[in-house]
Amino acid sequence: MSDKGLLTSPVDLESYSFDGTTSWQSKPEAVVFPTTTEQVSRILKLATEYHIPVTPRGAGSNLSGGSVPVSGGIVLCTTRMNKIIKVDGDSFTVTTEVGVVLNDLNQELARNNLFFPPDPQSFLAATIGGCVSENAGGPYAVKYGVFKHYLLGLTAVLPSGVILKLGGNTVKNVTGYDLPQIICGSEGTLAVITQVTLRVLTLPPAHKTVIAVFDKVVTSGQAVHRILTEGILPAKIEMMDNWVIRRIEETTPLGLPLEAGAMLLFELDGNTAAVEREAEGVIKSCQQTGAIEVRAARDSEEATNFWTARRAGFSAVYGASPTVFAEDVTVPINRIADLIAKVEEIAKNYNLTIIIIGHAGDGNLHPSILTDKNNVEHFRRAERAVNEIFLAALDFGGAISGEHGIGLEKKRFMKQAMQPEAIDLLRGIKKVFDPAGILNPGKIWEDR
Amino acid sequence: MSHYPTIDDANKCMKCGFCMYNCPIYKVDHIESHVARGRNMLIRQAGDKSIPTDADYGERLSYCLLCGRCAAICPAKVPSPDINVAARTNFLSQNNLSIPKQIIYRGILQHRNMMAGLLGIASWVPGISVKDGKPLRHMADFTSILTRGLSLPKLSRPFLSSRLRERTLPPKGTKSRGQVALFPGCAFEFFFADIGQGIVDVLTKSGFEVIYPRDLTCCGLAVRSAGDLHTAQLMASHNIEKLSSFDHIITGCATCGSALKEYGNWFSPDAPLQLKAQSISNKVSDFSEFLAKEGFESQIDEPLTVTYHDPCHLKWHQGISNQPREILRSIEGVKFVEMEGADDCCGLGGAFSIAHRDLSLSIQDKKMQSIKKTGAKVVVTSCPGCLIQLKDGVRRNNLPVEVMHISQLMRGKRKP
Repeated sequence: MSDKGLLTSPVDLESYSFDGTTSWQSKPEAVVFPTTTEQVSRILKLATEYHIPVTPRGAGSNLSGGSVPVSGGIVLCTTRMNKIIKVDGDSFTVTTEVGVVLNDLNQELARNNLFFPPDPQSFLAATIGGCVSENAGGPYAVKYGVFKHYLLGLTAVLPSGVILKLGGNTVKNVTGYDLPQIICGSEGTLAVITQVTLRVLTLPPAHKTVIAVFDKVVTSGQAVHRILTEGILPAKIEMMDNWVIRRIEETTPLGLPLEAGAMLLFELDGNTAAVEREAEGVIKSCQQTGAIEVRAARDSEEATNFWTARRAGFSAVYGASPTVFAEDVTVPINRIADLIAKVEEIAKNYNLTIIIIGHAGDGNLHPSILTDKNNVEHFRRAERAVNEIFLAALDFGGAISGEHGIGLEKKRFMKQAMQPEAIDLLRGIKKVFDPAGILNPGKIWEDR
Repeated sequence: MSHYPTIDDANKCMKCGFCMYNCPIYKVDHIESHVARGRNMLIRQAGDKSIPTDADYGERLSYCLLCGRCAAICPAKVPSPDINVAARTNFLSQNNLSIPKQIIYRGILQHRNMMAGLLGIASWVPGISVKDGKPLRHMADFTSILTRGLSLPKLSRPFLSSRLRERTLPPKGTKSRGQVALFPGCAFEFFFADIGQGIVDVLTKSGFEVIYPRDLTCCGLAVRSAGDLHTAQLMASHNIEKLSSFDHIITGCATCGSALKEYGNWFSPDAPLQLKAQSISNKVSDFSEFLAKEGFESQIDEPLTVTYHDPCHLKWHQGISNQPREILRSIEGVKFVEMEGADDCCGLGGAFSIAHRDLSLSIQDKKMQSIKKTGAKVVVTSCPGCLIQLKDGVRRNNLPVEVMHISQLMRGKRKP
């Protein structure tokens, strides 16, 4: 590799010691920027031979601690593998290198009237490789699902240096165990993905945005359930509580009532007639559940304003205090109101500010606890509250992470979320892929 | 409202990484310590002394064009360029300026008379000056060695201040519409004096009486960007005094414009001069901003296909991008074509282009490809820095394209 593909100076290494979380930091000993699959193979082969930990990393925008090199060693950064190889509008697939930024892929697809729905809100930073490794998703998950639903095939390099081509480019494929799906969401612990083939759709011809305001967060949760049971499937259903509404009114005023408990933002998409009919259905259901105010966006400009404000509001959460636990619990869709009520109760019991935002339509909430890791007493309380939120989500039949992954942030909760025998299976799979244990060590489960 | 940024503002960064999407440098090299998110983390760590502020750290601070794109896209509204300037200032207070930089910033740039004297002598050296538009070429290659190949403009003879009276009136028969003060900036005073004259020409033909206040000094932006805030404040104070009696201050230089409009933020809220600085800032307009609002007289001799390059200091620092386009579209005979990535950086970034020549050229190459694709005969911009970089790119790539300041086209003549 050329000199320019390698960083070793302390100050550069420092800048690869973190990800999007606020609690984890650890420096690598080198950062490498391969540009081909063959280079990745040579790096991994060497690392296995000399037992050097390798932490794969894309943009490092993840929210799990997953790309923090806690064992030192090498950070393998894929950001220079950034070519889109083939957009195939005839077979509805795209093949791309993994360092491509999601928004760049979306732009290229849009030029071809194509659409890739999974939309983690880090799309301006996140790379395709990172998204596949974390099995990322976003607001569109309600209707369109997450990354794994679009992953058809991939090229990956095993820690031994062996280059594998797995899967293919068809939606249906039952050739043995579904290996691409095992690598998808494995958080860089099994293999380094270098290329993927994804399924794409044609762009829906029509969109409509509806905004609804409620006096209580719980009521908004009930509205979501009612809409879904009436057979309406919005493309997105986003929820914001009073804290976020106030931030929105401070930065990008939409004229929302400041005392409102919660707001829901819907996007309907599809053909024009269906979109109109569904928008009416959403409005009616919200009114029947007791919305204070509900209406469709006047035009695409106002719709864009709503979604921009939503993004700004969500962003404000992450900068609201020195440490933020942005949790990622998910519950079955009929339990969303129960989860909200429980989080509100926990906030009260522990005397904490817990902001409730999330992708309400798929049961995925981000209760965000504002704390400060330097304030030991406060931080302990926050940790205990997180623990209770997780237990509540599991109790309601949900999961401790919907889209961020386990990484470092949630590994101490794995024992509560999975049977010991199931965790042993994970360990066994890891051993088969990575016998020397060099790939992203220290993530997902705790050492025995 | 005044916002005097400090390195503590780096704490607002929530590490989402959106700045990476917009950063001209990160787009080329993908190195975290060269983009706002990574640099903000380094600056935070330097602030709490968990990393040393050594030469390596100082060098990472230099990997930034201060173009402002990161701040424009940041959901948390973190003023990363200003944070970097504050960090450079702290760095400099712990590590002295190199002797040549001390001479340039504290001696020459701060004192216009000395600058005029030195450049005046230099202008007699064959090859580094222009007379009647014809460069004498002997020294050209020599000066380009000092700049690692970047071709600098030749010095004007005489300088702008010797070409203009303190007061220039609208031509006879043109209805007077008021008085404006011109802030010419070093580039138009010493290097592009003919363009400076053109700026005055367009303003007067549009009915404005132009005052060229004597004894102005450099705007100070380059000095502040390098981290010598104290000297920059002295320069700003000098200019503020000289400009305080005018109601409208016009500049044709995007960089000077962004500096003057920011003077209010160069002083801490408790500094005696802060309010006065802010009131000057409020009276400053860019040349195109002013004339798009006030109206102007212009036509060109022959039909031309024209494209426009957005200077960072105009679009990202001042939010001006529609006005120059409105002007170009309204000139009879101009066929305006938008280039791909018109608001992508040209890659100059002042001293950046010399310190990091390879990166600067990669950014320049992309710009040249976009210009070439439009098929335009003229690329217009509003910043002398961009003029230098675009002219350098056109020369290196042998493109049949003329690079012009917007006033040159408005003046109605093809050849400057």
